[in-house]
Amino acid sequence: MVEISRDTIPAILVSDLSHSFRGHQALSHVSFCVMPQTIHGFVGPNGAGKTTTLKVICTLLRPSYGEAQVFGHNVRNETLLVRKRIGFMPDHFSMYRQMTVYEYLDFFGAAYGLTLEQRDRVIGDVLTLTDMDGRKDDLISGLSRGMQQRVSLARVLVHDPDLLLLDEPASGLDPRARIELMEILRELRRMGKTIFISSHILSELSELCDSVTIIDRGQIKFSGPMDVLLEAPEERPSWNLRLAGSMPDVLAKLQTLEGVESVTEPEFTTGRDFMIQLKEGISGNDFLRTLLVLDLPIQGFSQQRRHLNQAFMDLTTRGVRT
Amino acid sequence: MISGATTLFSWTLRMDSKSIMPHVVRAGFAFLILIAIGTTLGDVFGVNRAGLEFFKAICFLNFLLITVSGISYFVSALTEEKDSGTFALLQLAGMTPLAITLGKSTSRLVTSLMLLVIQLPFTLLSITLGGILWQQVIAAYLALAAWMILVANLALLCSAKCATSGRAAALCGTVLLLYFALPPICSGFLAAVPPATMNPTLSRILAEVPALFSVISINDRLSDILQIGGDYSLATTQFWASCGLGGFFFTVSTVMLNYWTRPSENGGTESSGALRRWSLERTWKLPIAWKEFHFYTGGRSFFLTKLFGGFILLAGFYALQQTETGDVHLTLKGDLGWNAFLTFVAILSVELVLYASGCLFHELRQSTQSTLAMAPHTPTRILLEKTLGCLIAVAPSLILIGITSIIGYQGIRRNMELLTVDQTEPSDLIITYILLMSLSCHIAALLSLYTRWAALPLTALFTFTGFFCLAAPIYLIGPLTRMFARSQHIPMVSTFSWLVTAFWVWLLVLLPLQIWIRDRWIAVTRQ
Repeated sequence: MVEISRDTIPAILVSDLSHSFRGHQALSHVSFCVMPQTIHGFVGPNGAGKTTTLKVICTLLRPSYGEAQVFGHNVRNETLLVRKRIGFMPDHFSMYRQMTVYEYLDFFGAAYGLTLEQRDRVIGDVLTLTDMDGRKDDLISGLSRGMQQRVSLARVLVHDPDLLLLDEPASGLDPRARIELMEILRELRRMGKTIFISSHILSELSELCDSVTIIDRGQIKFSGPMDVLLEAPEERPSWNLRLAGSMPDVLAKLQTLEGVESVTEPEFTTGRDFMIQLKEGISGNDFLRTLLVLDLPIQGFSQQRRHLNQAFMDLTTRGVRT
Repeated sequence: MISGATTLFSWTLRMDSKSIMPHVVRAGFAFLILIAIGTTLGDVFGVNRAGLEFFKAICFLNFLLITVSGISYFVSALTEEKDSGTFALLQLAGMTPLAITLGKSTSRLVTSLMLLVIQLPFTLLSITLGGILWQQVIAAYLALAAWMILVANLALLCSAKCATSGRAAALCGTVLLLYFALPPICSGFLAAVPPATMNPTLSRILAEVPALFSVISINDRLSDILQIGGDYSLATTQFWASCGLGGFFFTVSTVMLNYWTRPSENGGTESSGALRRWSLERTWKLPIAWKEFHFYTGGRSFFLTKLFGGFILLAGFYALQQTETGDVHLTLKGDLGWNAFLTFVAILSVELVLYASGCLFHELRQSTQSTLAMAPHTPTRILLEKTLGCLIAVAPSLILIGITSIIGYQGIRRNMELLTVDQTEPSDLIITYILLMSLSCHIAALLSLYTRWAALPLTALFTFTGFFCLAAPIYLIGPLTRMFARSQHIPMVSTFSWLVTAFWVWLLVLLPLQIWIRDRWIAVTRQ
């Protein structure tokens, strides 16, 4: 779990949240915390309870049990205050397609109580940020999916919220649009926004997010910093060694080194990469000192990390929730 | 093709039979018939030909429902697929245009024809009540079935042509309006303009129009059937002409479907920038009202079009008056003032119910309800702003009613007095209309949150029932309040009576509906 400083009010604090509808337990005692100015990933299989959690946080759904707070405001009682501080982008396209981009943003700006001058300024800014200023007079119905996604993001930003709740923002986007979206999200974090992002594209989340929550069948399986999740779960971690070029008999030489338990060469590599398991009590530094004696052209030496895909598979259960 | 069409046809019928709403409509209709039977039984001893009167009411109701279904239920046969973006999937699945039109439209027609069939046993009772023969009953139902085939296929044509259900409903509504309005307009024009000044070809065409329309006129046919000694033959010109025209619309829809639904090259329609800048203004301080006015009701340009069209209609009444009396007056004399007033009231009523049934459904169809709900406004404010946007849009009709009330005051007053019964005043008619329209709009808005396209026909059904349930108490509250006010020497008796009546109806009828609408709206924003 994320450690909370006494002075910092969490962007999102969910405690013991449960929700059920029509006899179906969608969320069961869900608790997690998202710190301000971070990007927090929220992942889980289909039907895990991601969208239900998001709807509770964004005040669309009243939880059956438990609490959720946004910047200290209770989502149950302080609905309007919460709504002013968040921007929610749902997973489906829900746009007034007969409006132009500018009209759409102007409408939502006015709905959030911005004056005409504020709207003019803010809409210009968000259009620049999302790279849509050249298409502001286009009808939304005529835009591609990627562009509509950008307009949707611009709409979320128009009232300058502190917290963005994005439900599958990259779904259906081509690789280029996805990369550009991630860049925009990084830029937003630099601007001080907190981003809570639900996504199935784990590779991008692992690069983007500071922290992550994994939910499965309505229960939290992990919540905390991404680094902690991606650390190898074994007591004795493995290490990756990369050499600048391939050399003969390296594998045999490495196996004879003191403190080495096993050395393997990953498949589909060119004799430059090795995975080393050290004996108990031998640290990475100890091994590195020994390794330098061999005078190998070392290009990299790092602790083996799990990929988010692997962590996700380890923590979640096979099959679809019934 | 056959396999595709039957799959689609059976799937649509299965969906219809699984869905609760069509059954509710049919049950509601049967219930209405029972009410009508009960009412008629009450009068049976005092009225000659009670069966005929009863059957006339049922025929009128059927005619109304079929016409309303045209612009709500039938018109969405293809556009519901377009609205949800699944139309291309049907085409990709290898379904031919004929399979699509047959599968999507015919199932609805069959479902609706069932509505007529279930009535038959009940309405045969009218024969026992007297004044009508079984041949008349069957002939009337055949005429109504032909009218349904015509309306359903006209709606299919609009559904094939238009990109959205809203546009298709507007197109179908306009065509139906023209169908009813064109014959009297042509006759009026011919009468108003001296024959010597008119082009003979135009004059001949204008003279032919009413005759042409009378061939397919359901009103004329029903009048003919329901009079003693009328034409009771089962398959008349109206039947064959309506079926033929329906078949023609079906064929055009099928042939043109691929052409009308081909993907546009620019990915969307773009209106002219200058026109858009003229018709649109920056978002108001009440943004949801702005959105409703501009993007749901048609905005400024449609507002002005309606106003302009209304004045042309008013000018038509002046022209008719000049033809009849030969004099030029600033006021509309006699029944003309009353007829003009009723015309604009009817237009207002249709507009109000259409807007009420669509303004919330419009959000559901675009899946924008949760996005809108995220704005920091209470659900009540969102709903009120939506109402305001629609009310602004009906201002042209209100303006024209106001003008007609002034220029046709005498005729309106006289006709209203004829309609009043003991102890009631003409003002009671006005408050009854306002409250009944409020009831209709509330019912339409509520139903639109439950059912996809049946809101309008169901509203017509419920309002018909509501009229009997609500009009009598309203008529009672008014006179009672006036009696009380006079006995207590309370000033402004009429205003006081209006306020009391409106308060009670709001408290007991409209407020519960408003709470229901709000709760349902909150529920759908969470889905």
